[in-house]
Amino acid sequence: MFYRLSGVHHADYISDSRMFKVPADRNLAVFFLIIGVAAPFIIPSLYLNSYMLPWLIWTAAALGLNLVTGWAGQLHLGYAAVMAVGAYSAIHAAKFGVPWEFALIIGGLASSVIGSLFAFAALRVKGLYLALTTLAMQFVMDWVLTHSPAISGGSHASLQSPTLALLGQDITSDAGYYYVAFGWCVLVTIFMLNLKRTGLGRALVAVREKDFAAAILGVNSFYYKILAFATSSFIAGVSGALLVATFFFLAAPEQFSVNVSIQVLAMVIVGGLGSIIGSYFGVALILLVPGLVNGLVAAGSEAIGMQINVETLAHIPNAVYGALIVVILLIEPLGLGKLYGNIREYLMVWPFDQLRK
Amino acid sequence: MRQLTKALAVFSMMGGLITGSQALAEPFKVGVCYDLSKAYTFASPQVSQAAMDLAKLVNLKGGIGGEPVEVIVRDHGNEPQRGIECYSKLSREGVFVFDTLSTPVSLAILPRAMEDGRVLMQSLVGRGDAVDGTVFDWVYPVGPTYWGQAANDVAYLKQLHDGDLSDVKVGFVYFDYPFGQEPIEILETLSEKEGFDLELYPVPLPGSDQASVWSKVRRDKPDHVIVWMLGGAHVVASKEMQRNRIPMDKYISVNWLNEVDIANIGNEAAIGLKRGTNVVGGLDVPLRQEILAELYEKGEGSGPLEKTEDVFYNTGLAMYSIVFEAARKAVELEGLPITPESYKAGLETLKDFDANGLMAPITVTGEDHGGGGKTRIEMWDGETWVPQTDWISAYSDVVWDVVKESSEKYGQ
Repeated sequence: MFYRLSGVHHADYISDSRMFKVPADRNLAVFFLIIGVAAPFIIPSLYLNSYMLPWLIWTAAALGLNLVTGWAGQLHLGYAAVMAVGAYSAIHAAKFGVPWEFALIIGGLASSVIGSLFAFAALRVKGLYLALTTLAMQFVMDWVLTHSPAISGGSHASLQSPTLALLGQDITSDAGYYYVAFGWCVLVTIFMLNLKRTGLGRALVAVREKDFAAAILGVNSFYYKILAFATSSFIAGVSGALLVATFFFLAAPEQFSVNVSIQVLAMVIVGGLGSIIGSYFGVALILLVPGLVNGLVAAGSEAIGMQINVETLAHIPNAVYGALIVVILLIEPLGLGKLYGNIREYLMVWPFDQLRK
Repeated sequence: MRQLTKALAVFSMMGGLITGSQALAEPFKVGVCYDLSKAYTFASPQVSQAAMDLAKLVNLKGGIGGEPVEVIVRDHGNEPQRGIECYSKLSREGVFVFDTLSTPVSLAILPRAMEDGRVLMQSLVGRGDAVDGTVFDWVYPVGPTYWGQAANDVAYLKQLHDGDLSDVKVGFVYFDYPFGQEPIEILETLSEKEGFDLELYPVPLPGSDQASVWSKVRRDKPDHVIVWMLGGAHVVASKEMQRNRIPMDKYISVNWLNEVDIANIGNEAAIGLKRGTNVVGGLDVPLRQEILAELYEKGEGSGPLEKTEDVFYNTGLAMYSIVFEAARKAVELEGLPITPESYKAGLETLKDFDANGLMAPITVTGEDHGGGGKTRIEMWDGETWVPQTDWISAYSDVVWDVVKESSEKYGQ
């Protein structure tokens, strides 16, 4: 009823490979796009800048990781390091006087080069071995950042980002930062939506399912793996640069440390491997829920006037948040994206679901 | 049951109304966005407990300018993103004095605080060059920088060796990341200036494996070891020192070493161990005694009593004595309500303030936001901390050269 299927017929390949096969999906996407555009006018600036903005940038980053882990099936434990490469090279480029548009691309390309260089070495091994090699990349990057003041910005290891300016326009307002993040996230989402429909996307899926079977089909699995690493690293690099330019305003090694890598991976896994909408949900859960639960618990204990030790108070949200992840993965191991998929599936024929059986 | 909850809700609303109408002017609020769950838990519970106790004591004595004070403690889990969230949320609620007790979060908040005109207190964390008030208008790292602390350690050694360090060998054992690397530059400069030999011993994080480091120390035989590590790493170091038969009195720690570490090292084994500090260690601090009498003996302390028997509790008292004293000065200067500007002015009139013998006297000025950076060396004698020097701030020209060199890069 909500996702009406009547009248939707695919009589040719072009229609069958449309991005949104069910009109309701398209309408929903347009609806959220409109909300996204109108957000600065309807959402208070606190939520816009402390929640929406990091959420969108991290979603873009998580989509990039989803490309390599969800689509191409290669476990990546050093994603934050790749983001760091992009962030630092873009900021250094911008400090050097390169316009931000190009600085962002330089950041992306630098990440791409380093990310796929590592992949070159790493792809000689598979599975868990590959995961450990990418973890090694993370540690190499951590070491480089903490031991080269020229890159990390002096003895405090904090590198200030110059004011962001795009298309000759200095961006300094809350709304401006938000639109940059929003624009980038939409761009990455559109790219990922289209990836599903292209030969590249299908090749990646083939490599993920069984790389030697893909090779028999004529898909050069090594080439496509490298391509997946390079593309995802590009997305990571630009996302990292934007994260610093619009949110942190300065880059520090802790922002791209190994636990951040694990966090992004958790976003992708909790959201659902290979699911675009899942990445949005996963990022929201991993990034925003701890803060929200923290606020709720603090407000709750104040409201009932309970004297809880601050330390205990700080650990309750962690416990709640951990339990939440476990419960969600128990209910649906394929992640939040699949959970949404189930609901959508149910509503598709509701209330006539007998017809399907 | 339902009626009861309704009644309760009505009552609490009435209560809210009544207290709301009583407090016409907003209370002076401090945003304490701390890491209470991850990396800084070795110190953050004691410091935040001190903050809350001190606020209670100030309120018992009638508040500041007749208005109550409030500390709002929130956890940010040492994540920059959540620190920013805490900052943004509280600053929209009218809080304009913040402390993070976390270097990554302090770094993340700094550009915003500078932009929004909010006072960022960052004693003992964050970028040290922020003591340069001419560049960092809104940042007040009151207390010593790590640079200043290292310089003071060298000054202590010079005292110990009757003013001549020329045939002294000093080892520097440090966590191999920015926190530990910070003093190297100062130590190298001073080693040239004073003629002592400097040996560097980087310790890989998290500091649980230091075997190679200390056997190298044994071979090199430095006369003193200055140590820039935290928490459990001190315990590992002490074990390795015992294994290599290096006497404990060679050990001079950064301020981050407390009674918990001493207990883990072993009370006897730790005798002779030294630490640099900007607060008085031990239990006989007048302010602490007052808090015990007024709060803990009446069962109104903000946490367990053991947490107050810790030098980090004294550190917290020192940090928040400064915060509240500055508010008092602000009221004296410009009256209520306290604004960010008047608070800043209040901070900058602090002169030789030592919170009744709790800490090194500080004098904050428009140029020096660090308050002079005095520290002293204390030694553990098996029961308490025994001061080895007066409050000193040595080589300030060398320290300020490094500060200026670093701070002028900000904003470029």
